[in-house]
Order: sequence, then structure tokens, then C-alpha cells
Amino acid sequence: MMGAMLMVGGIGLVAALILGIASVTFAVKMDPREKAVLDQLPGANCGACGFAGCVAFAHELTANPEAEMACPAVNKDGVEAISDILGRSLGAGDAMIAFVRCKGSPADTITRYGYVGPEDCRTAQIIAGGPKACQYGCLGLGSCVEACPFDAMHMGEDGLPHVNEDKCTGCGKCADACPREIIALISRSANFGVRCISQDSSKEMKQYCKVGCIKCRICENTCPFEAIEVTQGNAASIDQEKCQKCGLCVSVCPTGVISSKQPPRKVQVIAEKCKGCGICAQVCPVDAISGKPKEPYVVDISKCIGCGMCIEKCPADAIERLAG
Amino acid sequence: MKTFKGGIHPPENKILVKDNAIVELPLSKVFFVPTQQHLGAPAKPVVNTGDTVKRGQVLTEPMGFVSAAVHAPTSGTVKEITKRVHPVTGLLAPYIIIEADGKDEWAPGLPLERDPFSMTAKELLNIIRLSGIVGMGGATFPTHVKLSPPKDKPIHTFIINGAECEPYLAADYRLMLEQPERIIDGARVVMKVLGLDSAIMAIEANKPDAIRLMQEKTPPEIKVEPMKVKYPQGAEKHLIDALTGRQVPSGGLPMDVGALVHNAGTVAAIWDACALGIPLIERITSVTGQGINQPKNIKVRIGTPLKEVFEFCGGLNDAAKIIFGGPMMGIAQYCEDVPVMKGTSGILVLTEQETNLNSYQSCIACGRCIEACPMRLVPSMLSRLGERSMWKEALDFNLLDCMECGSCTYVCPANRPIVHFVKYLKTLQREAKAKGKEA
Amino acid sequence: MKDIFVSSSPHIHSVEDIPWIMRQVIYALIPGALVGMYFFGLPAAKVIAISVVSCMVIEAITQKFMGRAVTVSDGSAALTGLLLAMNLPAGSPWWLVVLGSLIAVVLGKQVYGGLGNNPFNPALVARVFLLISFPVQMTTWLQPRPFLLKVADTVSGATPLGALKTAMFEHGSIDIVGKLNLMDPFFGNIGGSLGEISAFALIIGGVYLIARRIISWHIPVFFIGTVALMTGIFWVINPNLYANPVFHMLSGGLMLGAIFMATDMVTSPITNKGKIIFAIGCGVITVVIRLWGGYPEGVSFAILIMNAFVSLINKMTRPEKFGVGK
Repeated sequence: MMGAMLMVGGIGLVAALILGIASVTFAVKMDPREKAVLDQLPGANCGACGFAGCVAFAHELTANPEAEMACPAVNKDGVEAISDILGRSLGAGDAMIAFVRCKGSPADTITRYGYVGPEDCRTAQIIAGGPKACQYGCLGLGSCVEACPFDAMHMGEDGLPHVNEDKCTGCGKCADACPREIIALISRSANFGVRCISQDSSKEMKQYCKVGCIKCRICENTCPFEAIEVTQGNAASIDQEKCQKCGLCVSVCPTGVISSKQPPRKVQVIAEKCKGCGICAQVCPVDAISGKPKEPYVVDISKCIGCGMCIEKCPADAIERLAG
Repeated sequence: MKTFKGGIHPPENKILVKDNAIVELPLSKVFFVPTQQHLGAPAKPVVNTGDTVKRGQVLTEPMGFVSAAVHAPTSGTVKEITKRVHPVTGLLAPYIIIEADGKDEWAPGLPLERDPFSMTAKELLNIIRLSGIVGMGGATFPTHVKLSPPKDKPIHTFIINGAECEPYLAADYRLMLEQPERIIDGARVVMKVLGLDSAIMAIEANKPDAIRLMQEKTPPEIKVEPMKVKYPQGAEKHLIDALTGRQVPSGGLPMDVGALVHNAGTVAAIWDACALGIPLIERITSVTGQGINQPKNIKVRIGTPLKEVFEFCGGLNDAAKIIFGGPMMGIAQYCEDVPVMKGTSGILVLTEQETNLNSYQSCIACGRCIEACPMRLVPSMLSRLGERSMWKEALDFNLLDCMECGSCTYVCPANRPIVHFVKYLKTLQREAKAKGKEA
Repeated sequence: MKDIFVSSSPHIHSVEDIPWIMRQVIYALIPGALVGMYFFGLPAAKVIAISVVSCMVIEAITQKFMGRAVTVSDGSAALTGLLLAMNLPAGSPWWLVVLGSLIAVVLGKQVYGGLGNNPFNPALVARVFLLISFPVQMTTWLQPRPFLLKVADTVSGATPLGALKTAMFEHGSIDIVGKLNLMDPFFGNIGGSLGEISAFALIIGGVYLIARRIISWHIPVFFIGTVALMTGIFWVINPNLYANPVFHMLSGGLMLGAIFMATDMVTSPITNKGKIIFAIGCGVITVVIRLWGGYPEGVSFAILIMNAFVSLINKMTRPEKFGVGK
């Protein structure tokens, strides 16, 4: 009994000794900062940075003094932390987020046939161009949801994918998975987007979709900043750099294909501050403000579209947004 | 009896239509002629809207050698040249729409009366090319290209494919029973073109009367060979393997082993073109399945809308799937407005019981797909790689050797859509290759 | 078009799906199960019933819990239950059977992702787990007695292989074995696991499965053949130390293992060449354990060990594709 215990115990000790020595002599020399950098990365190994996972990218950032911050999943605080660790300033790019450019749920569109096959948009696409009559619309089988490494996409009751903005890091894996390039990455600060990329004429579209862009150009003609345009047979698209988020295009679009993240908040005049200059009434695109000179002006809430032009132009800072 | 390794034995179901003599479909009022009814470069229309055309008149000009022309199926006016759904891709493709004038007048001079055996091989080949003849077993490869192998790959074995191994189909069978002379004479023309003095006609053993009749009618230089009934015996690589023991090398063509295979219908069309000057404007096809009320073997003009074929055959009954071709490799259609084409070897209307709409499970490694695969691949692996979009690894598993015959998918107990995954992987590989070329 | 379906080709399918395959294997096991119930009586029937039911229930609960589709109706849980029962002593207490079912379904199958994803034979995983954890219960064998006779008496006895190993350890020779009539292990009148006793009943089942092309003949033939050959060689060398090959073929779990356990599709190689390598490996390890190992029977361990090599064997034995060579 004693002998057996000593034997087994002895083997254990020797093995432990060998492992201990090996862990020191064969240790991989790693820059100690690399671990700290790695802690700032999300660990999702999504590959958006172009490297084979977070460990590889952490190594690149630490070892290469010219390496740029290519991980979209790290927020501003994280980028600052990494900059501190590495002793050089890394610019964070504009935070991006996924945007689904289709509103065509099965209820609003024509389905040509019952698809039988793997539940994947890419495999469905190769069968007679997919079950949806529209060749530019979302097939709703969830390849994007599968592809998301951050669990930021889910398929809604409407048969369309929905982006969870809190979890989305803008890595772009969903956009790569979509066989029709329906998902685009747009700046997180953008508020409006056109949910359609169809190149079919309005006549063709009427046959199979109730909610797509019919290229009527009303939005293009209405936008005061030339931020939205319909080019050459394509659906309308917004230049986010020019967009001032007034929301006029949304209010005039006949099919409702332009979506807004935050519904515009309407405004009211702070009577005590208002000097009655009337500039607000002049700039209001929908004539929702009225009043007499030198008297506090009033906003007609039913007409107000919340574009905020009046707030910008008011010299007395006398207009405020209503609570949401 | 000769055969190849692998393959499956699905129920034949030919009984629905095999004893029905060929009937001609009444002429339609409007014909929808796709300009692409062949493998290869597209063909350009040479008629304009408003033009009057006669039966057999050329409608398109082939662009390049590996291309084929299409001809007017009847006399009438060109109503429109526009895009419509194409039966093969399911996407929009150019069509020439002809409004028939009901007179069905031939183009001037047609039909001719000439002796193909007094013409040279070169002349015959030219006629075949101008007549728009393509492989009518379904592959629609331009026949004149097949008959023009390069000098360093001479053909010494010519095989007429009367196997018709797909279940349900009986069009080639009826052709053999009712018009054997067209097949035999067409075969002799091909032998003249190739400079051969013998040929083999392969017929599956489930057509004993056709075998007997052909044995009676064929001249001694054409040997009738009964083949073991197995799918896909009619696949040309496996016909060649079974009959000659030679395997077409991977990535190669039958000419690499000195062989050439033509469908029986193609060979009959070759005779019509050479002896009568008639281009390929009609074919025989089986309209069958439990979902059609009166299954028939019809003689039908190219461009006839499917709707009229269905009406002629008593209408649909609980149809779940409509297939152009056979049930193993045919293409499912979603639209009744598509036309019959040169390669439409069958029109199947299947009910839900006949087809399979079930979902699939994980591979259980039973190995049945490996036993069944006539190309000796590992289909279960290809399906697993397909689930993960791993096309590069699939190339290591010989993805490009898969001929999509469907044997693996037919036997898979887990109901896995293996052919679908293979098609998907091949699409990914093509896209990556195109992108690579761009870069 | 209304209600029209479109899929990739092919558009027809064989009727032989997974539930069909499971049913055929269950049919093939029925003769063996009946013999077990004949010789061991009501306790055997109880073990089978508890095993099958608990496997199905546990699979349903596990799949629900894991948020997966419940696939109990495909018959694979029922089959696992039946196979597990065949591998247990007929007098096993109910809790042992339920525990075995839990191990087989959860640890043997569901944690890997369900049917098709498990590397080890689930019923054997359970059996070996139980054998190591509860050696007494797992080696308490009921004596066989014809069914209609006094079923109430449960008398324990040894299995032929057990007697062999004991004789080896105690006497250093196996003269005891000479007293065994070979008809007994052939028809089933011996001690042993519920389903392993009758070589005859199991062979009938095996022939049925091979004829129906559910399993191929390669694994049973090469597994049993290797055992026969190896034991034969050693018997010739020293018949006092080593039993004759026929005895070895008919005793223990070899028939059950070679025909029903080693041939499990999910955990055996996918090509015939691979199956041969797999079967020979199983045979060798079985004989090594039987002749020189501490356990009297080695089939379960041998199969589990070879299961671990299946991935490698598959890699090594890919078929040569069409169009190469000729």
C-alpha cells in the first residue's frame, strides 16, 4: 500500500517538475503588451480586421508600429485604451453599423414558388434566382443571421432580418453573407436610409412589391441638401455626409421606403425666450410655425415633422425638442 | 450484361406512358422561341419585330464555333423580341416571339430530297451546323462541334444512346419503336462524317421490344447492345466505360478515349437535316407523371408554351412539381409560360407523393452515397463542406468531377440535398475564379 | 404559380430513410431479444422495456432543453435503448438501466450534436461506463432457464468467458472449458448479457441486415474472422492455455458486437476498405483483452477504441475517382 502510494505520488511529482521546467524553457516570448491589447479586443474572431482572429490582430497591432486600428468592434474608449498601452495614437474610424436595404416581407411581395432546400439565402439564390419575384429583395432565409459573430442579427416576424444596434459592431460579415448585397454598412451616426436597391422600373416593381422604391424622385426634388438621389435606374440612395437629418424625404416618400432610426422629435417654442422674430416660420418647410411679430410664435404639432431647421436658425435659442 | 460501378435502381414508372404512341400536338397560335437552347456562346437574332417568317427559317446567327442557331417552328410574324423566363436558369433571357399565321408554310425549297451518302463529310457537317442541331438527350451541346474533334483525337467508337435511363421518360423508346429508320439512317450519316464503318447502339434491357426491333432493322455494321438497367447508364462517360472498358479521364471528354455518343433523337434529327434539309424545330417528348391527367408522348414544335401542352394532356391534377427533363437531373419550373425547347427530353408533373419535400438531417455516415456515386466520389463529404461553404476543400474532394446525376441524393437516408450543395460549391468556386481573374 | 415547389434536382427519393433503417435494425434484433426473454424471463422483458422507454424520453427532454427539434420519432433513440438492453445483464436493476440510458443518449449522442455527430457508439459508451462504475451489478448473471419454468428464481452464474478467465487465474489452465457443450452458446443456453447469448438468433438478424443492404458483410466477417484466426493460432500453440476458436466465436459479446455494434453506421468507417481495417483492429484488440487482459470480455472496449480511429481510417481510405488510371 505504502509502496504504491509513494510510487504514484513520485511519478506525479516528476511529471509536474517536467511540465514546470518545460513551461519556462519552451515559453513563447510574447510582448507583454500584446495580452493587454488582446483584452481590449472582443474575442469574436470575426476576421473583419483582415487577420486570422483577435490573437493575430493583437500581435499585429503590438509588433507592427505602423499597424492601424482595423477592428470595428472596439468602441472609442477601447481604442483610447489600446493607444495608451501601445504608446501611440490610433485613430478610430467612423463607427459603422449594418443596414438592411429591403422592406419586402412576404406579406408585401410576390413569392414565385415554394422553395425546397437548405435554409440559406445563398443556396436558394441558385435555384431559378430564388423564390422571391424581386431579384433584389431579401430572401429571408437568414444567411446573415447565421453569419453574425456578435449575435446582433435576428429574423423578425416579418420575415426580414433586424439589426440589434447595441450588439452590432459593423464587422460586415452579414453583408458578405448576403448573396444580393442587400446589407450595407453605414455610419452609426446616420439616421436615415433607403430600404431598397431594386433596379427594376416602377412598372415592373408594381407587379411584385408594394413597398419598394419606385424611383419617383420626389425625395430627390425635396431634399434641400442634395443628399438623396435616384441615379440611372437605381433606387434612391442617401449620401450620409450631406444628409442633415431633416427628415423631409421621409415625409414625402409615397411608398415609405426610407426608414429613420429615430423618429424625428417634434418641437415647441419656449414662449419666455421667444423674441417673435419669425425666422423659424420662414425656414419651416411645412409651414408649421405661425405667429405675429414681437409675440411668441407657436408650433402646430400636427404639421411639424421634427426636421429641426427652426432650432438651428433660431437666434434666441427659443425652440426645443419635445420629449420622445 | 455490360454495366459500370455504382449507380442506383429507382422505380422506372415508365408504365404511365411507354405504351402510348406518339401524337402530334396541334399547332399553337403563339410560339416563344428562346435564342439560347444550347450550351455555348449566345446567338444573335437576325430577324426584327414585324418580319414575316416561314417554317424552318433561320432566326438567329450563332456567335462563334461553339454556338447554335434557332429556326422558326412555323410560319407567321415576329411579334416581339424581348426577355422572358428561361426554363433552364429561371431568370430572364432573350426570346423571339412568333405569332403563327396558321398556314404552317415551309421556307422556300423545304423540305428537300437529297442523298446524304453522296455528300462529303465536310458538307454533311456544315448542314448539321446550319440546322441548329444540339444534343437532344438534354445537354444540348452543339452537335457539329462534337463531330469535329481535333486531328490528334480521332474517334473510333461511335455509340447511339438509346438507354433512356431516367425514370418516367419513354420518348426515345417510342422513337425507336415507331421511327427506327430515322435513327438508323441518321447513325449511318454520322458514321460517314466520322469515317467509321461500325457503330454500337446501346439500349437498356427494360426495352426488350425495342432491342428486338432494332436488332432486326439495323444493318450488320450497327451492333445493338442490351445494357443492364441502372441509372445513370445513359450518362455518356458511363456508357463508354460499360461498352469499351475505357474511362474518360477526369476533366476530359469522350474524344480523349476515342469515343463519341449521340442521343437517339439527335441522330434522327441529323437524318432530317441531311436528307430533307429540315432544321431542328420539333422533338418528341414524354409528358408524364401522376400529376397530369392524360400522360402522352407528343411530337411538339420548339417554342410551344407549356400551358398548351398541359391542356392537350388533360390538365394538371394536384401538381406539386413541374420538371423539364427526367426526375433525376431535370429542372423544376415555377411558371407555366415557359416553352418546350430543343433539349426538353421530358415534361414531368409530379404530385407530392411522388416527389420529396422533406427537410434533412446530419449525415449518418451510412456510406450509401459512396456506393451509389458513379464518379466514385465521397458525396457525404461534399454535402458537409457545402453546409460550410468550403469550396476550396471541396476541390480536394474532386468537386468538379461531380456530374450532378443525383444518385447520392436519391439514396441518402438523411434526405440531404447533396446535389444542391454541390451546385452551390461550384457557384462559389466560379465566383472566386472570376474575382481572381479580375484581380 | 400556386403551390408549386422548386428544388434542385433530383426530384425523387428512395423510401429508405432513417426511420426505415432504424426499423430494419430493430427487426433484426428481435430474434436475439426473444431468446433473451425466453432464457431469462420477465426480468429481461423489464430491462428492454425500461431501456427503450427511458432512452426515448431522455432524448426528447434533452433535445427540448437544448433548444433543438425533437427527433425521437426517427427511431434512433428506441434502437439505442434496445441495443443497450441487449448489452446489459438480464437481472439489471431499473436504476442501472435508466442511468445507462441517460449516459447513452446524453453523453453518447446529444452532446455531440445529435444523430450523425457522435464519434463513439452510444450504447457501448453507456455499457462501459456502467461496467466500470458498477462492476458487481454488471457482472451478476442470471442463470438461463426455459421461459415457462419457474421464472421467479433468480440464480446467478457465470458466463463461459468469465469461467475461462477465472479458471486461468485460479488454475493456470482452462480444463473447465472442455465441459462446455458448443450447442449451448450457439442457441443461447448460457449466462451472459441479455442479448448476446444466442449466436444463432444474432446471425439470423445479421443475415437479414446484410440482405437488406443496411450493413455490409465486411465488418462482421472480418471482425469474427480475425478473432477466430488469432485465437486459433494460440489454441494450436497451447490448447491448455487457450480455448478453441469456435468457443471464442460463439461466446461473449462477439456476435452481438460484430453484427450490431461495430456496424453502427455513424461510428464506423464509410468505405468498405475502411471497414475491413476497422474490423481487423476490433478483432485484434478483443483477442488481446480476452487472452491477456484483466477483463474476460474485450468486445466493448475494442469497438470503442477503434471508434476513435474511424476519422483517420476514413481519411486513409478514400475511393479512387472515375477517370484516373484506365
